[in-house]
Amino acid sequence: MMNLDVQSTVSLASYVGAGFCIGLGAIGAALGEGYTAGFACEGISQNTKKSGDIMKNMLVGQAVAESAAIFALVIAILLIFTDPGMVLTLLSASSAIGAGLCMGIGAIGSGIGSGFPAGQCCLGLSRQPAVSGKLTTNMLIGSAVCQTPAIFSMVVSLMLLFMDFSKLPLNPNWAALIGAGLSTGLAAIGSGMGGGMAAGSSCQGIARNPGTTGPVTTTMLIGQAVSQTPAIFGLLVSFILMFKGFPESTSLAAAMAPLAAGICMGFGGIGPGIGNGFTAQYAVTWVARNIEEAGALTRTMLVGQAVSQSTAIYAMVVSLVLVFVL
Amino acid sequence: MDDLTNIPQLTISIFGSNWVFNTETILMTWIAMGAILFFGFMATRKIDVVPNPFQVVGELFVGAFYGLTKDALDEDMAPKYFPLICSLFMFLLLCNWLGVFPHLSEPTKDLNTTLGLGLLGFVIAHYSGIKAKGFGRYLKEYCEPIFFMAPLNVIGEIAKVVSISFRLYGNIMGGAIIVLVVSHLVYELVLPPLLIAFFSIFVGTIQAFVFTMLTLVYISVQVK
Repeated sequence: MMNLDVQSTVSLASYVGAGFCIGLGAIGAALGEGYTAGFACEGISQNTKKSGDIMKNMLVGQAVAESAAIFALVIAILLIFTDPGMVLTLLSASSAIGAGLCMGIGAIGSGIGSGFPAGQCCLGLSRQPAVSGKLTTNMLIGSAVCQTPAIFSMVVSLMLLFMDFSKLPLNPNWAALIGAGLSTGLAAIGSGMGGGMAAGSSCQGIARNPGTTGPVTTTMLIGQAVSQTPAIFGLLVSFILMFKGFPESTSLAAAMAPLAAGICMGFGGIGPGIGNGFTAQYAVTWVARNIEEAGALTRTMLVGQAVSQSTAIYAMVVSLVLVFVL
Repeated sequence: MDDLTNIPQLTISIFGSNWVFNTETILMTWIAMGAILFFGFMATRKIDVVPNPFQVVGELFVGAFYGLTKDALDEDMAPKYFPLICSLFMFLLLCNWLGVFPHLSEPTKDLNTTLGLGLLGFVIAHYSGIKAKGFGRYLKEYCEPIFFMAPLNVIGEIAKVVSISFRLYGNIMGGAIIVLVVSHLVYELVLPPLLIAFFSIFVGTIQAFVFTMLTLVYISVQVK
């Protein structure tokens, strides 16, 4: 067994974190961009005259989807090259791994999600070239809101990297910092994808019925916002894990409780995020086709999403019990 | 990172209990309120067929939000809730945009502001629900689908307040953290103004709209 000093342990952890970060972070954006390009091909084959516009729109949409991977790239470069300028302790090693995992996993959902509106927008342009302005604006709003879970992950990663944890005791807190990364990162997968589904069907709806742009965009924003609730619960659990400052302990069980809290909230958030996305997707589709019932559709969507979200609430309750009761 | 976790506070001891005031948040909230009062005064001072610029902007807000309120509630209930919805949006929009100006900061960056506004919407939604349906039917809705789901329904209602307030706080605070770290890394060159424009103006507008619409839809779910 090699003997490692603190400096080399922290460097080692940073490299591992950077590897996780960009490796996992590249998954989502690539999938989303491929989806976009596929629909761009379909659009061009249906309306060859507009191939220039569709191509331009495809590139803009892919650039937004790419931003999730760029966030991961930024965190990976920060992990490899920067010196936070603080006293290094062994906690810095676990916060580096936590930051890498958080950003890497957190970029998956937003990358895939941003691909949906971009693809549907390319298809919509071939169907309704006259409303290209409305379609592109709606796509940009929808896919920018899809990036919110990735931005939450980036915030948690930056806090893990640049906040000074050196005064905290090592034993339970190393696990709390990794748990903080996993909580937001995993919960962001579902929310990113769910937000993307809502945005995709809103672009489709506007292409079908351009007169409904206002209500469709409003319903999309409400649906996306509710789909992001699991990511917000993940962020809440991460903040609690980072700021609570667990008291020193020698037992391993004390360390596993905060780690389990992060994992529990993270995995618990994936399903509700995608499920809420399904609800929002169909609500937006039918608002576009049946504009008179927009109010009733929005209310039903919200009630259905609240029920599907109850599983994320169970996960949050268990996480809070793990943090505060045990 | 220090100036983010360090919130300026003023502690006053009244009758043995300590009252803590977040001075910066309160000051910034008052600036936003003052600006809205000034706007309202200018917009309604000389109402004319040929409107002044303030009146035009005011009419745009009123027209757009009256339409949205009417869609979510019905014609008969819209006039009652419309002033709340429209002023909530204008206040949040101004709060989120304050960070663009040097030396000012967003009051929504403080969780106390967003949690307060979230609780406001929660109390109003439930009060209107009880008033519209009667206390018995209001209580009965917690026992759906089966009576032992009641505790989970209560937790679900509380989680709505948590999610609505953390959504706004997380977006604005997250933007502030990203701007702070990036400014530090690029020595305040080129990037920070663009990031501030994105997070304050674009994300701030969308989140103000989302917060307002969710408050409106929560009311509409309760009264229907």
